[in-house]
Amino acid sequence: MTTENTKRATTRSAPKTKRNTAKPSQKKALAPYKLMLLVTVVPRNKAEFYLDLLQNFEVNMQLEVAAFGTAVKTFGFFDTDREKQVLFSIIREDNAANALATLEDKFGTLRGGKGIAYTVPFSSMVGVSAYKFLSNKQ
Amino acid sequence: MSNKYEVVMCIVNGGYSEAVMDSARAAGARGGTVLNATGTANPQAERAYGITVVPNKELVMILVDESIKESVLQNLYRDVGLNTAGQGIAFTLPVGQVVGLTPVEQSATPSEVPSADTPLTEPDKTE
Repeated sequence: MTTENTKRATTRSAPKTKRNTAKPSQKKALAPYKLMLLVTVVPRNKAEFYLDLLQNFEVNMQLEVAAFGTAVKTFGFFDTDREKQVLFSIIREDNAANALATLEDKFGTLRGGKGIAYTVPFSSMVGVSAYKFLSNKQ
Repeated sequence: MSNKYEVVMCIVNGGYSEAVMDSARAAGARGGTVLNATGTANPQAERAYGITVVPNKELVMILVDESIKESVLQNLYRDVGLNTAGQGIAFTLPVGQVVGLTPVEQSATPSEVPSADTPLTEPDKTE
């Protein structure tokens, strides 16, 4: 028993490997650019315009999904007005603010192009090549 | 009211999105977006628990102020939760920045995204 305990103690006090001794500041960040999911809800007939617009912000992958707004039916409000398209775009954090500012500008100036947009931060992902593709960084 | 927002995601059986919105509006939510979806479940788990997962689903996304998030979730749990016909699951995700949301004082319609017929002050520059 005594020998076993000694062995365990020896193992615990063994010098740390070289990998663990590196200072945090010296460690190479695996994912230096944070990614975000940009969700944009726009009228269906303006979806193509917004998809093209967002590609200017180094967005390499976008997904568009047909959807409906939930407005209460009132006079002068047609079903076609409820037809929306939801655009899911994966964008780098440093580009997100510019993209949102441009979207806000277009929402205010493009006739019939009013919408909303918001970002949801990524917490994790897997795959280096996928990360490089999504962040548009080599 | 704080200026932080969260997005409430509620997955319900097909046809219950209106019930979701009614429940969320009662807690102060303004509008939402409905996406059609297909649900899948583990067949063994379905047999074990004696439940059937209806594949036709609707995903309702509702952007809410974080101050009313709790009450919206409570309402959804009560009105369209798993113990109801809607068999809904609701959760929230943090939101970074938001653009395009009309302030409460200025909102003309209860829709999250106002009508395309809304008159604009500036002429069309992009088309």
